[in-house]
Amino acid sequence: MSEINALAQKLMTLISDDVEFEAGARVVSRGGVPDPITAILDEIDNTVLERNLEFSADANTVNLIAGGRRLRGVLAVSPESHAHIVGKTLSREEPELVQATSALLSEMFGGADRLTVRSLASEPFGEESGERGISARRLAELWEQDADETPKSPMERFLKYNASALKSVMHVNKGEIISTVGDFSALQGMWNNQVMEFRKTNKNMLTGKEGPQLICLEGALDDGSAAALVIADNEIALMAYEPDKLSAMQSSWRGIFG
Amino acid sequence: MVVDELDALRDRFEGCRTIAFADLSTQMILVTDSGSTLPRETLDDLCAQAAMMLGANGKVFLGSHESSAAALANNSGLRVFVRAGQEPNDVLCCICEPTVDAGAFLADARASINRISSGD
Repeated sequence: MSEINALAQKLMTLISDDVEFEAGARVVSRGGVPDPITAILDEIDNTVLERNLEFSADANTVNLIAGGRRLRGVLAVSPESHAHIVGKTLSREEPELVQATSALLSEMFGGADRLTVRSLASEPFGEESGERGISARRLAELWEQDADETPKSPMERFLKYNASALKSVMHVNKGEIISTVGDFSALQGMWNNQVMEFRKTNKNMLTGKEGPQLICLEGALDDGSAAALVIADNEIALMAYEPDKLSAMQSSWRGIFG
Repeated sequence: MVVDELDALRDRFEGCRTIAFADLSTQMILVTDSGSTLPRETLDDLCAQAAMMLGANGKVFLGSHESSAAALANNSGLRVFVRAGQEPNDVLCCICEPTVDAGAFLADARASINRISSGD
């Protein structure tokens, strides 16, 4: 990750996220935003003094020993699994251990709707090998996370996170179509003929300023598909989506725009 | 009674503030949950919003067809509108906190409006 991008991402975090706690643990990813594995790497990158970082989502908990912006290794896993990597100090000389740790975190948290962290006092860990673990930046490379990616706009992040739920997409910025996915002809019809009037009528019904909105309509399209509209200032996204993904879309919308 | 069904739905979801049963053909709120203190004008606006979101009397504002259900999330809350399966003018209009799970609430609200509409 370049220094500029690293700085930009930290600044975006500082200005856009209000810190939220859940049962005393800090929420670091909500609705997949940021990506849970990226959130874990960010926490490691922010840990200078050695700590026991306890990550939890649903019934899964993983304790990691981190310090000096490096991950030393996995202290504990609950429910118990991956015993072969617990207590082992990560080393670039042992790529299988590094990838097994990535697999563990992806399995436990890759699809987490809400990921939390507690920063606990460190505990004795691993064997006396002199290994200090691997830096968060290096792990991002080894685990092929999008750490070098230019920060995306909120709308782009929403569309990326919900990509699997969306059959077609039309993303408009300042009146210009900037990206599409799938067969978006029905969405274009909505954009050309309906969105402006809908937005005007809807705005009149809202009290106060028109802020970001997620509007979902089941069965609104010709083929029976559900249609959704996300409004955020000058950006609008029209989508055909899978109705059973409504909760996930709402959750990520709250994480990004709420 | 309809009000009991509305109260029961509201009580199942912490963060659900108001539920109203409406007739979209006349665009009138017929019954609200027993805890609602919203003024008549606000309820009229809620019903008008339901008509705009779902479509009513042959008029569709967004999409090609009237919708079976709709959700609107913004920073002040979540609004859910859902039609009865057999009597499409019978709808529930619901105002919730932003934290309420739209998918879970919608599924429960759909079952409620179907019971209300069928008289079960």
